[in-house]
Parts: sequence; structure tokens; C-alpha cells
Amino acid sequence: MARAEKITLKVNGEPHSLTIDPGEPLLWVLRDQLKLTGTKFGCGEGECGACSVLINGEVFRSCMVTVGELAADDQIVTIEGLGRPGNLSELQRAFVDHTAFGCGYCTPGMIVTAEALLRSNPHPSRDEIVSAMDDNLCRCASYPAIVEAVASVAGGVKRED
Amino acid sequence: MPLNRRTFLELLGGSTAYAFTFSCSDGTGTVDEAPVEADAGVIANHAVRYFVDYTEWLFIHADGSVTAHAGRVDMGQGLKTVLSNLISQGLQLPPEKVELVLGDTSSCPDDGPTEGSNATRIVGWGYWRACERIRDHLVERAAGILGVSPKKLVYRDGAIVAKNDPTVRLAIGELADGTVHLDTIEPRAWYSSSTPYVDRGTPSVNGEAIVTGTLVYTGDFDPGDCCYGAFASSQYHIQLTEIEAADFAAAAAVPGVVKVERTGASAMAVGESFTSVQRALKALAPRWRIPERDRILDVEGEIRRGAELRKTVEEAGDPERKLGSSPVRISETYITQYASQVPMETETAVAEVEGDRATVWASTQAPFKARVRVAKRLKIPEENVRIIAMPVGGAFGVKVDTPAPDEAALLARKTGRRVKHVYTREYQFNGRARYKEAVVADITSGVTENGRLVARTIDLYQDEGFGSADTYDIPHVRTRLFSSPMPARHGTMRGTSFVQTCFAVESHTDVLAEALGIDPLEFRKRNLAVASFGPLLDAVAEMIGYQRAPDGDHGIGVAICHHGGRQLGAVAAEVSVDRTSGVVRVERLAGAFDIGLVINLNTLTANTKGAMLWGLGFALFEEVRVDGHQSFTRGLSDYRIPRFSDVPPMEIAFLSNETKDGWPRGCGELPVIPTVSAIANAVARAIGVRFHTLPLTPERVLEGLRES
Repeated sequence: MARAEKITLKVNGEPHSLTIDPGEPLLWVLRDQLKLTGTKFGCGEGECGACSVLINGEVFRSCMVTVGELAADDQIVTIEGLGRPGNLSELQRAFVDHTAFGCGYCTPGMIVTAEALLRSNPHPSRDEIVSAMDDNLCRCASYPAIVEAVASVAGGVKRED
Repeated sequence: MPLNRRTFLELLGGSTAYAFTFSCSDGTGTVDEAPVEADAGVIANHAVRYFVDYTEWLFIHADGSVTAHAGRVDMGQGLKTVLSNLISQGLQLPPEKVELVLGDTSSCPDDGPTEGSNATRIVGWGYWRACERIRDHLVERAAGILGVSPKKLVYRDGAIVAKNDPTVRLAIGELADGTVHLDTIEPRAWYSSSTPYVDRGTPSVNGEAIVTGTLVYTGDFDPGDCCYGAFASSQYHIQLTEIEAADFAAAAAVPGVVKVERTGASAMAVGESFTSVQRALKALAPRWRIPERDRILDVEGEIRRGAELRKTVEEAGDPERKLGSSPVRISETYITQYASQVPMETETAVAEVEGDRATVWASTQAPFKARVRVAKRLKIPEENVRIIAMPVGGAFGVKVDTPAPDEAALLARKTGRRVKHVYTREYQFNGRARYKEAVVADITSGVTENGRLVARTIDLYQDEGFGSADTYDIPHVRTRLFSSPMPARHGTMRGTSFVQTCFAVESHTDVLAEALGIDPLEFRKRNLAVASFGPLLDAVAEMIGYQRAPDGDHGIGVAICHHGGRQLGAVAAEVSVDRTSGVVRVERLAGAFDIGLVINLNTLTANTKGAMLWGLGFALFEEVRVDGHQSFTRGLSDYRIPRFSDVPPMEIAFLSNETKDGWPRGCGELPVIPTVSAIANAVARAIGVRFHTLPLTPERVLEGLRES
């Protein structure tokens, strides 16, 4: 069995030094060590997207990334790093305004994934939104409202022509 | 346990409050009869399907704020928003003045599980009507204090004001003096014709917390010094097997492991982290006994073998004789699959056990059922168990009778630690699964040549079920239930038994129409048991463009159904079928639902679209593959649920022709049911092949095309 090592993680701009098994999935380190519980356990097999986080601006499933694979200067951003109650990001505000959730459990993963999309493609078409989000599952099936919320931040949907 | 004066006073604590209890009752089965006053807990009307008298609590505090206590839970259907909304409107208070305490067994009344699409229509409606009575009550009380006639006072914006002098004013908080009103406040009239109340857009009360990841679900709750625990999971149906051998030493040697031990047929592991527990269960490498039961590989064979007649749920006339004399008679069998609820948050509980007392924070639809389970598991009195229902990350039936709370309590007792028990997908799908049951339905109908249904028999191999007498007017009917000894465990899942029966009945309806050469929509209209289905069919026909000729390999299908307390629904679907790949794509969905009063259009619309997408998933791909020994569905990669790219354009409408009494009738499950059948009917019309088994996977569609 792997033994604990000293590992530094940069999460939401802050460095954290941890003595931890490098084989530990990032998901559980975020949740249990750093108390950032906005990142959810949904399946543990990379199938649902509830645990999505940004690493250097790209979306990763934190249940499938071990902390040993991360470098000290990797920029990890969780849902908590995007906005706080009373100080929502534009995307978070749009999710509230469109009631783009039912139970809300998948929502952090949805917002993190949409955030990455909008950073790389600020004016996605509806098809591009669907395609970028398609691996994030929502059992309440709030999909139509989520697409509307993301499209509203995209500043009007790009023409398909 | 009924709430008593002592509990009430404990809740009041040192603060001064004005407290009400009131009852809310379900009389939604009554639709055609004259209004009857609810009197002493009895509605004297034979049409009432079931009647439960629930109690709810409401406190008015000295600062003018209100706290409402209900034993129900918010599982994403927006109950917290709906109740806050109703109370703040009902007592004319700003929303921030209304606090809700939901699902805590130590401070909430037992008002039943949150299931059966009934929370809004029973609890919500009860609060709304009770607020009317409370306003009157407060006016009377203020009149006593002010020494004036109640007629000279009016309730306005959380205060009682003199009609002719607005400076004479008593805020409701000023009436708070520690008084406890334990008298039942009956809503004035259950069947009033008061103006329907519609809220179009109140946002979710949990919205900001949800989008920032700060809403604390059960797994997010940290009681301090908590470990994780889990049980070994078998691929076999658990009641058919047990662990024969396992490497307990290897499991106990995994770093971070606190305890590994045999428990009944399975084994438990507790460790300092989620990962350590999973590693321990892997190291345990249990060998499970192969079930001895002989094994039939196909689900229909398993269900039919040894099935016995359990009860007749519907019987009128002489169906056997009338079937024999009908000019057109068709017999068919329809089969639906095992399915799984798959909430995004798996079943989860956190337990603390000290001596003979237990506290469990749980993701549950039924905190009072959880309390019974924990008390039984630990063999302690129910009153020593406190269940705190947390926000639920989806449930869909599986969390009505979830074992997670009592399993967590057992793990806590065995280790003397606080334990968090988060189901893995494997355990959720398999080890502890309670599936939506697979159903075999034999259906035979006799019809006249001009398209009137004369007789029908339905034999359902199903735990619970209904026939079609609430949907179609058939003089001679019989519906029977047969119990099947299928070893896969059954549980509740959104839409319950209605989905399976509706698939059989509504597919069969199209087959009959086709045999007679009558348009399926027209055929339905000729045979309706309830006239209100007519406008629903017209509405979906218009929305979907029923009259147009669809493109090649496209088809449009319709279906209708009823659910629960007179909820009626119609759905139309347009599909396309790729004859090469066998892939069915739903191109459009239209739904119309007759559900009485709409409380919150925002949450209703979201729930309804989501429910129709559930129908899409059940029709096209959701399936737990099991046989008489085991399940082959182990994780999310083995079970496809609807995703973004499956979503078609959807149009919905809400009608209220069936009842004019201003009562909300619920709509949480209804839209799932006809959507399944509408899609199946659309596929049949697209390619001319009728499928009798769900789901309509590409393999099944290709096979059907080959055989046609």
C-alpha cells in the first residue's frame, strides 16, 4: 500500500500542504481534507460529471485524478472558486435565474463544465453547449433549463449559419 | 408518535411564540360528488380513495417571523420553495420572515413519506388553507386584546389593522406570548371555489446555495471525527447468497482501516477515509456462495414460473363471455424491464450512536420510516432515535425505504465512531438495489366494428397495479394481479406500477385502432371513461401537429393515462428511426396534464419536462439486466440515463377541466407514464413494427425490422 507523502495542491488560488497518500483521488482530498464539499461524489467511475473541477482551465473528473498526478503549480479550481453566496458569478446567477436545477446535486459539476466551455468559446451555439456538456448527467433532467442558462451567459446564441 | 404538548413546549423553548397545529387531509379522490365539509377527520364520501389526517405545525415568533415544521423533505421537487411561498403569501409576509424545518423527527410531525406526488397537494394545500384560518384566528385574538369587534379589524401584511384607523395596528409578533394552540384548525372548506392561486416565478429558496456548492447534502455534513463505512457487495441477489470465505486479515491490514467484520450474509468495513474502506473491501475479496435456485435466463420465464393469482383489482360485467362474442378480439403480451432510480446522490447517511441513543443525518424521503428502521436494527426504542433529513440529491422512490440510515447506525455502533455511509454505484445498482419491477402483462380486448370497446381482461404479473377502467369506458372488464417469485428485489420508482400497465394498455389501444382502421386518437376519443381526456388529446395533437404527414421513417404516437388522485395526462411524441443502426431518436414531445390548481409554475414546468425525459429513458434505453441469480448492471457505465443530447424540443400545457374545486392534484410522476407509451406508439407508426418489450434499444429495433 502506498504511504503518505507531502503534497502541495493549489486550490482556488491558495496553496495547501498535505501529508497524504498520493494514490488518493483528488475528489476525496477536496471534500475531506480541504472541506470543499461543493465537488460531489456521483459515481466514482468518471461517468457522471458531478465531481468536475478545472485543472489549468480544463475540465477533469476529480474522482479519476489522484493527487500524486498533480504538480504544485497546477491551478485547481472548484465550484467554490467561481463565486460565493452573495457574490455569484454570471454563470451561477444565470443558473439561479433559469432554475437550471432540480435537486442541485449535479449543479456544481454542470457550472464548472460550462465555465470551461465559455472560457474557450465565449459564444457557443446550442449544439456546442449540448456537445460540451453531454457527459454531465442530471437525473432530474433539468437539461433544457441548463442549456438556456448557459446560452444566456453566452450573450445570445451564435447563429448556426 | 403524535406530537404532544410536552414536545411543543420544548420546541417553544424560552422564546415566546404563538403556535398552531392543523390538519390537512387528502380527499382528492372525490371529484364528481357534491362538496362535503371535512368533519372530525372523516369525509363522508364513498369516492374518497384514501384518507389520511396529517398534522402540521406553525409558530409565530415575537419578532414577527414564522417557523413551519413539516416531516416532509425537499428532494429537488422544490417543496421548500413551494411551502415558503405558500406561507409567505398566505400570511402576507416577506419570504425572509418564513423559516421551514423539514424532516427532523425530533421537531416535526409525522406527516407521511414524501412520495406518490402528494407533498404539494396535501401538505402545501393544507398550509395554504390553514393560513386562511390562522389569519381569522389572529384577527379574533387581536380584537380581544384591543377590546373591539373582529369585524372592525382586518388582516394585512403580517399585522391586524383597524379598518377605519390604520394607526391602530398589532403586528402578529405582538400576539406571541407563549400560547400554544393545540386545537385542530380545520381548513374552512375543502372544496371551495376560491380563486386558483398561481405563482409563476418564485425562485428556488436553495438556489444560491446550490450554485455555489454550499448546500449541505448528507455526504457534505461533517459531524467531526467521522469515519467512512461500507458493506461488501455481491453480484448475486443478496437474499440468495452469503460470503463463504474472505480475507479478513488482508482487509484489516489496509492503512486507515478501523474495523472489518462479518455482518450477516455480508461483511462491513470502517476506515478513516472513503478510499481506505473501498480498498479494504477489495482486499477482502469475498467469495460469494453461488445461488442454489435453478436459473431461468429470460425475465419473462422467471416471472411466469410459479406465479399465483393474488387479487382481482377490477371486475365488471362478464368479460370472458363478451370477449367470445366480440367481432374483433385481440390478445397480446407486453413486457417491461427492470429499471433503477439512479439518483445522482447515492443513498447516504451519517450516524452517531451513544449507548441506546442514535442520531442519523440522512438522505431520505421518509424520516419517520428511517427512524423505525434504525430503532429495529439497533434494538432501541424509537423515541431514542433522531433522524435529521438533509437536502436530498435526488431520490425517485429509492429513498422511501432506504437502508442507509440503519446500516450507518450499525456501523457506528460496531465501531463506537461516527460513521458516514455513502453507497457506491455498485452497492446502489446491485448489492442493495430495489429495482422498479419488470412486468409481464397479458391483455385481451373485444371491440365492435365501429370501434367501441366491449370487453377487456388484463393479467398483470406485478406487485401492485391497476387496469384501464379509469381511462376507458369498457362495460365488461377484469384485471388481476399475479405474484411473481422473481428474486430480484423490488422497490418504488417514479411512476410506480402505472408506467408498466400504461405501456401495455396504450400499445394495445393502438393495435386495436389499427386493426379496425381507425385513427388511434379518434379511437381513444370514442372510448374515454373521463371526458376531460378529450381536451388533453386535442391539446397534444395541436402542439405536435398531429394531422400532418410525418417525413419518412418518422412517426407520431399518442398515449393517455391517469395517476393517483385524478391526475390526467396525454402525451404525443414524434420519433425518427434509423433503419440501418436501429437508433430511435425522439424528435419532439408534447404533453398536456389536467392536474387542478397550479401552485408554482416554475417548479412544475421543470419537474414536468424532467419527468417526460424519464419516460424517454425508460422507453428507449434504461434497463437493469438481471436473471434469476444475479444482476449484470454494476455501475453507471452499464446503465444509460437520458443526457443533454437526447433532449427533444418539448411543449407542455396544464389544463384544469377535470375539477373546478381549486385543489392541486400533484404532477411529480404523471408525465413519465404516457410519454413511454407515446414513444412506443410513434416507433410503431414510423416503421410499421410493433414492439412488445421495452426498452427499444437499437438491437431490439433491428431485430424487429429483420423479422417484419
